[in-house]
Amino acid sequence: MVLVDQEILSQPDETEVVISVENVSKKFCRDLRRSLLYGVRDIATELSGGKRKETLRTKEFWALKDINFELRRGQALGLVGANGAGKSTLLRIISGLIKPDIGTVKIKGRVAPLIALGAGFNPLLTGRENIYANMSILGLSTQEIEARFQEVIDFAEIWDAIDAPVQNYSSGMAARLGFACAIHTEPEILLIDEVLAVGDIKFKAKCYRKLHQLRQQGTSFVLVNHNPQAILSVCDSAIYLVKGKLIAAGATETVIEKYEEDLFLDSKKATSQIMHLPEKSASESFGLDITHLLFKDTKGEIIKSLRSGESVNFCVGCKAHQKCDNVTLHLKITELGGEGGTGSVLFFNSEHDGGFFEVLPGKHEIHLQMPYLGLAPGTYTMSIKLKQDIYTFDVFESFRFTVGSDGKMSQCKFYQPRAWQLASPVEFIDRNNSR
Amino acid sequence: MPFEVVYTPESLLRHPIQLFKQMGRDLLASRELAWRLMVRDISAQYRQSFLGILWAFLPPIVMAAGFSLANDAGAIAIGATDLPYPAYVMFSTALWQTFTEALNGPVQAVTTAKPMLAKVNFPREAIILAKLGEVFFNFAIKLILIVGLFIWFRVAVSWTVILAPVALIHLILFGTFIGVLLAPLGMLYQDVSKALTMVTGFWLFLTPVVFPVPSAGTFGLLVRLNPVTPLLVTTRELATTGVISDPAGFWIASIITIVGLLLTWVAFRLAMPFVIERVSS
Repeated sequence: MVLVDQEILSQPDETEVVISVENVSKKFCRDLRRSLLYGVRDIATELSGGKRKETLRTKEFWALKDINFELRRGQALGLVGANGAGKSTLLRIISGLIKPDIGTVKIKGRVAPLIALGAGFNPLLTGRENIYANMSILGLSTQEIEARFQEVIDFAEIWDAIDAPVQNYSSGMAARLGFACAIHTEPEILLIDEVLAVGDIKFKAKCYRKLHQLRQQGTSFVLVNHNPQAILSVCDSAIYLVKGKLIAAGATETVIEKYEEDLFLDSKKATSQIMHLPEKSASESFGLDITHLLFKDTKGEIIKSLRSGESVNFCVGCKAHQKCDNVTLHLKITELGGEGGTGSVLFFNSEHDGGFFEVLPGKHEIHLQMPYLGLAPGTYTMSIKLKQDIYTFDVFESFRFTVGSDGKMSQCKFYQPRAWQLASPVEFIDRNNSR
Repeated sequence: MPFEVVYTPESLLRHPIQLFKQMGRDLLASRELAWRLMVRDISAQYRQSFLGILWAFLPPIVMAAGFSLANDAGAIAIGATDLPYPAYVMFSTALWQTFTEALNGPVQAVTTAKPMLAKVNFPREAIILAKLGEVFFNFAIKLILIVGLFIWFRVAVSWTVILAPVALIHLILFGTFIGVLLAPLGMLYQDVSKALTMVTGFWLFLTPVVFPVPSAGTFGLLVRLNPVTPLLVTTRELATTGVISDPAGFWIASIITIVGLLLTWVAFRLAMPFVIERVSS
């Protein structure tokens, strides 16, 4: 059964369409020999001006079927789906590397793929020479490369090694150089295929800032990522592919919800502040499972809406199949709309506060007691991990919750517990001159 | 500034004007890239090599030494040549080598560039042009050997040597034409490069490289039917004697080259997307 949920975005029609994908389908063959043979036959049909059949030949399957979407200038589109859903194939069709079997793709502007870093790098040549080669392949003229040369080196942070052969670079350095080259080509459309994971945190933050800058300049993005948080923070709209078919398209929130629903199968979500997870059988479990996540107030009642400054307890319901010692709880809270993978707002590790739990078999609830909720109004996602030293019992990646606004926090980044007092002047009693 | 590109499943042969416009545009766009790739490949070629550019000289010298020895010893019977035999062999071998480099060039270029081709969309004419540039560069180095040779053997050079480069270009373009024809298949099946090596080995003996042009017999016929023969022979003659023995053959081979090259360029463009989708990325 195929569900196609398409929300028509109410967007101002002034911005032009830069990518238009209509009814695109693509078939591939599983068997290598047969695939090569079909390749030869396709070439022959193409050279004779004939039309290729639109049905599946033996051992062929549809890698993409009936994909429709549009991307406007300055917008970012997220592409989510499990491995093998057809995301990379779609990107390759958009960049013009392979032809669709059915349908049309219209592109306006230069497309730069951040699909493979360092395309055109020759390991024997120095970083300097490879920058010229790589950026040339990505479509820049020598003049343009020279104008950006220093920026690229500064961005990649490899000033010393720039004249050493690339084969001597560490994999991180080579990846940073490739990324720096690709991101400075300043195309009209940027296709990012899961390559945002290179480098350390500072570098990642730099990359996100640069992407943000490009976004301001009007570059359109298509971002493929398995991390829903990255997609939520960067993209305006998203599409969800399953085995080549378009299951959902529209506003990022809705599409990600559907994606996560499928990831966690039939988890029930009453409101977004409460999460109940399906029970795992003893064989699937790692010893301790998360059963539910919710907020309670100090009286022990479940809270449906949160306010800054209130006294809340975050409750992680768990079920133990065996006795677990030294259980620690790790919570990371990220704000939506922040800088993707590096925008962590709060990080709790119960180890730091001496919170080691001895959990007997059965159902329990671990409480994080917060006398004053310090978060400012906004939407957040939290990742919850139950661990024992480095062994992880269970993880829940994105628990979404909202902190409501009451008008008093509009200019605050966080809530500061406080009290006001008027101190009247104190009389100085001069013992030497007392009357 | 951004123009619109449309990708459809239809064969571009149905829109020939669009096809030619795209071809022209890509050829212009690929000039700089071809230069960059050529510089990159030539630098890399000699960077990890100890003997470096000597490799451009050695094969002709070794070949000449071998055949001269065999000829003097009477092991093989080779007729009289216009030039002193060692000079003849070295010069012809240098030309033949240039031809084989041009022949193998496209298939090699496309196979080495596979990672790039599978991931980035760029004007593919650039890799062919880059390889072509390399062939000319390598010939320029061989030219040093040839000039040295002519001086050593006191070979008389006629005024027509100025025209010799034209014939040489035709020879190189002929090799490129066959190479580009085979390149897409060469990316799919490894048989192509293996077969090419085998065939060039045999082809050498059907070309007057180590022997003068034969006149009679089936062998003579085969040699005369070989399209490389008039191109190679004319280049040699223009540089030395100044008398072209087979002008008709030369012009026929040249026309086949030019027309063939244009047709295979079209075929190459049309075939590459299909090759890329079958090849891993």
